[in-house]
Amino acid sequence: MPYTPELKELIKAVERTRPERVERKRRGEEIPFLSLDERKERLKFHPDFKEEGRRPLQVGPSKGYAIAHEIADLLEAGSRVDPDRIDLSAPAYTTDVLVIGGGGAGTSAAILAAERGANVILATKLRHGDANTMMAEGGIQAATKGHKDSPYFHYLDVMGGGHFTNVPELVETLVTQAPDAIRWLEHQGVNFTKQADGTLETIHGGGTSRKRMHYAADITGAEIMRTIRDEARNHADRISVLEFSPAVELVLDESGHCAGAVLYNMETEEYFVIRAKAVIMATGGCGRLHIQGFMTTNHYGATADGIVLGYRAGVPVAFLHTVQYHPTGIVFPEQAEGILITEKFRGAGANLVNVEGNQFVNEREPRDVEAASIIKECVHEGKGVPTPTGRLGIWLDSPMIEQLAGEGTVKREFPGKYILYKRFDIDISKEPMLIYPTLHYQNGGLEFRPSGETCVPGLFIAGEVAGGIHGANRLMGNSLLDIIVFGRIAGTSAADYLAAGVSEGKLSLDHVRAYNAEVDAAGVSDGRVAPAIIPNYTDPAVRERQLTAHYVGNVR
Amino acid sequence: MDTAALTEKVAAKAVPIYIMGKRYEVPEALTIMKAMEYAGYQYIRGCGCRGGVCGACATVYRKAGDYKIYTGLACQTVVEPDMYLAQIPFYPANRATYDFESAEPTPETVFKLYPELFRCVACNACTKVCPMDVEVLDYVSALKRGDLKAAAEISFDCIQCGLCASRCMGEMAQYHIAQLARRLAGGKLAAKAEHLGKMCADIEGGAFADLLGGLKSMSVDELKKVYTEREMEPHMGADEWTPASSHGLA
Amino acid sequence: MTIGYYPGCTLKTKAANLEVAALAALDHLGIEVAELPRWNCCGAVFSLATDDLIHQVAPVRNLIRAAEQGCDTVVTICSQCYNTLARANRLVREDAEKRDTLNRFMTEEPDYAGEVEVVHYLSLLRDRVGWERLRAAVTNPLTGLRVAPFYGCTLVRPGDVAIDAVDPAILEGFIAALGAEPVSFTAARECCGSYQMIAHPEEGLRRAAKVIAAANASAADALILSCPLCEYNLGTRQGDVVAAHDGLEHVPTFYFTQLLGVALGLDPELCRLDLSGPAATTLLTERKYIAAATA
Repeated sequence: MPYTPELKELIKAVERTRPERVERKRRGEEIPFLSLDERKERLKFHPDFKEEGRRPLQVGPSKGYAIAHEIADLLEAGSRVDPDRIDLSAPAYTTDVLVIGGGGAGTSAAILAAERGANVILATKLRHGDANTMMAEGGIQAATKGHKDSPYFHYLDVMGGGHFTNVPELVETLVTQAPDAIRWLEHQGVNFTKQADGTLETIHGGGTSRKRMHYAADITGAEIMRTIRDEARNHADRISVLEFSPAVELVLDESGHCAGAVLYNMETEEYFVIRAKAVIMATGGCGRLHIQGFMTTNHYGATADGIVLGYRAGVPVAFLHTVQYHPTGIVFPEQAEGILITEKFRGAGANLVNVEGNQFVNEREPRDVEAASIIKECVHEGKGVPTPTGRLGIWLDSPMIEQLAGEGTVKREFPGKYILYKRFDIDISKEPMLIYPTLHYQNGGLEFRPSGETCVPGLFIAGEVAGGIHGANRLMGNSLLDIIVFGRIAGTSAADYLAAGVSEGKLSLDHVRAYNAEVDAAGVSDGRVAPAIIPNYTDPAVRERQLTAHYVGNVR
Repeated sequence: MDTAALTEKVAAKAVPIYIMGKRYEVPEALTIMKAMEYAGYQYIRGCGCRGGVCGACATVYRKAGDYKIYTGLACQTVVEPDMYLAQIPFYPANRATYDFESAEPTPETVFKLYPELFRCVACNACTKVCPMDVEVLDYVSALKRGDLKAAAEISFDCIQCGLCASRCMGEMAQYHIAQLARRLAGGKLAAKAEHLGKMCADIEGGAFADLLGGLKSMSVDELKKVYTEREMEPHMGADEWTPASSHGLA
Repeated sequence: MTIGYYPGCTLKTKAANLEVAALAALDHLGIEVAELPRWNCCGAVFSLATDDLIHQVAPVRNLIRAAEQGCDTVVTICSQCYNTLARANRLVREDAEKRDTLNRFMTEEPDYAGEVEVVHYLSLLRDRVGWERLRAAVTNPLTGLRVAPFYGCTLVRPGDVAIDAVDPAILEGFIAALGAEPVSFTAARECCGSYQMIAHPEEGLRRAAKVIAAANASAADALILSCPLCEYNLGTRQGDVVAAHDGLEHVPTFYFTQLLGVALGLDPELCRLDLSGPAATTLLTERKYIAAATA
């Protein structure tokens, strides 16, 4: 639906201040960035800092570590299926490498492992490519322009964005492998936005000191995902894809090496076992857990399954107490709620403006600072823009971009969002967008090493399920980068691990039995099971009338 | 925000919709996806990103008394009273396997892998059915005349939902052919980024090992100081901008 | 008169040698045409089945695209495209029932009733430039070159779209304007072998041999064509044709537009002789119509 007359009236305040703001932008006058101390103060308004939002874990390798209730609920839960009922002696499939997750990290890993001669099964909960990768819009960071940038500055920006808590070795790997990741994608045929001579277009993102955000219009993630998925499909001789088959447990062997997984066929409702010499976990994030009730940008399957599986197998979690809220999610129209408005709009010059038409924060602060500033402005300063359904939002002044970079820029550079809003009769080249922070990214995850290894031999991880690269806050454009860099590393490491020789011991789910016992002993599960697999969107009234329906967790 | 909470907030009036012919009353402001969940469906197939880019939730519908076929993404399309809808979560499609490394970026590569391209009769059903407003016939036409770059550009917003393939008189899967064209155009026809190769070579040559080693060994306070003092590239400046100090560069 | 240019698919791939010099020549002669920004395949072969209207959708859609651009005329160089578009246009003009069906089928497009005129490049040249003016513009006359004009089928059949209906010697007039000598040629309106060359190769080769034999009989130095399919059968496959039939001599083939470019003194590169057989280049250099180095 288009803006209501009330909202149209409020837009006038934005239009009133726009000429002056455009002029300031042209002159290079910016709202000063917050100092590190000021950032710290501002972050007190961030949801991560709400003590009542989290609790210490009662079980598992990271016992005592306080994380969001919604994730703790899953870690303090029993297995979906009784290990005694799984027949490990007759695996349905046997393979060299099992990749769990069909997003950017899993797909990169599968390609690299296959190229090194491994037979790969890529199992994924929904379709191959149904992942947050597909939804990433803004871009992918890499220091590729040596006349002004280098991994040195990229490293500094990543560390600063993560509040200097990141694992240095992981950051070093990320930033030094970044240009090669871009080169690989370019080689695979990703249509990055380029100049005629091949020079990659790059822009700023929040928290970057150099313009190193590469992009493919405003569907960078989709362009990357569909390209590497196509490449994976070209390796059909080595890569088999199992869709609608989420993993529900890892399988170890008697010596404690990861040796496969128990999976669930969501259509026939059968559980089955895949035996593998190595497993790569690339299951993504947790947005669909709706931490603290926030709306989310994440895809339907983002329910932190891999965290649960890895944690049960003995891998600790790190940085999971921080969750990223993307500063700019759609808050109106309500039908599009939670959908991400890429940071690239701000990179291209669009200001954030309150109900009075005034700026209150530089639009290129790191994401957590930006989100905290928006929440503060709306909730604590009372300068949010009220929506017809009683929510609050802030204007993202996209029409500025037309004035700064020429008429037609918004449609050309942001075709996806332009079309989306057009369906609601809103022309974002003429009217601003109404936004509010939306749950976007799981900053932390399972602990791992730069080689992709975990403390469980044979278990490698990559992508959003991993923790440590981004510290307490990820910068825009480092997630697409992370999945490609660490996806490729995980694929290579798994292949190397195979090449070194893997002894194939008897399969076991004893770790699951032990975990269930620990959960029972702690008395915390309340009958819950995990992983969640899908969110619970069934209307409670309907559920009450489903008298004979059987739900295991959220799955009917 | 789950559907129940949204319903409560919107408190809209109910409208009748027909899911695969069966009538349900749903709040008027919901998307088709949320309306189906409101009605009691639990998605396994037919639901992906919920943000309009993954192509999982292609939906076909008609309106009462109207012969036309309408399409939309369930996650993006708002319900209308008396719409008759069905999702098309999967449609079989022919995809040619090929070796990208050795594939030449020529029209013949496309013609050989997808000879069905020439079964197009320009009926335009593909374009009419596309929920992303991609001019499918135009890119198929570009492919037939071997213009891979044009096909790559015209097809760029394709989300590979498969609706075009479901309606094609020539029985082709247009979106797979477009994917091939985009890869050939992006990977083999577009000029390569020279600065990229240079940076990769510098890194492989160890140009930044000492610099990064230095940063890694710093205390947090030292690192904060270097971070705070780093020079910021101006927002509106040109790509050619160079920092005042060359420290940190190759 | 606003003239839209409809290229056709083959001119953008294999038959660039039919297109490039042609467009450069129009530019040189001051005739303004603009390629349609959107176009699809012409339909390739006009469908003869009377109830097979779906095959008229492709050509009619192109005519709608031309109308959308405000063109009253659309010009083609490929004779196959000409034939398909022109016949579809006649169908729309003459059969109200079929016109309505087509328009109803294409509700997403504006209605079309045949407002656009479809012309072939040769007609445009004759009617807008005229042979006299063309002759005057020729700076590199092909003096002494004996050229056999091959009309084939699609320029001249059926009669209601034939470009020779009012001027049975249009190709001859064109050749003469270039300073060359049109030779009398009994196979000028024969079939080149068409798709039979693939479907029934023996019949295809036999058809093509008839054309080559006639060209030999008239002592032609060269054979000119206006259709990529003719070029395939008579040019690309000429080696097979000659090998399969005793007593045939090779004869270089050109698209008519290549000789036009040479005679107008355009940059020989524009004539894309690289896409024609080596015999074409050899002939032109030996006769000194072009310099050896530029070939």
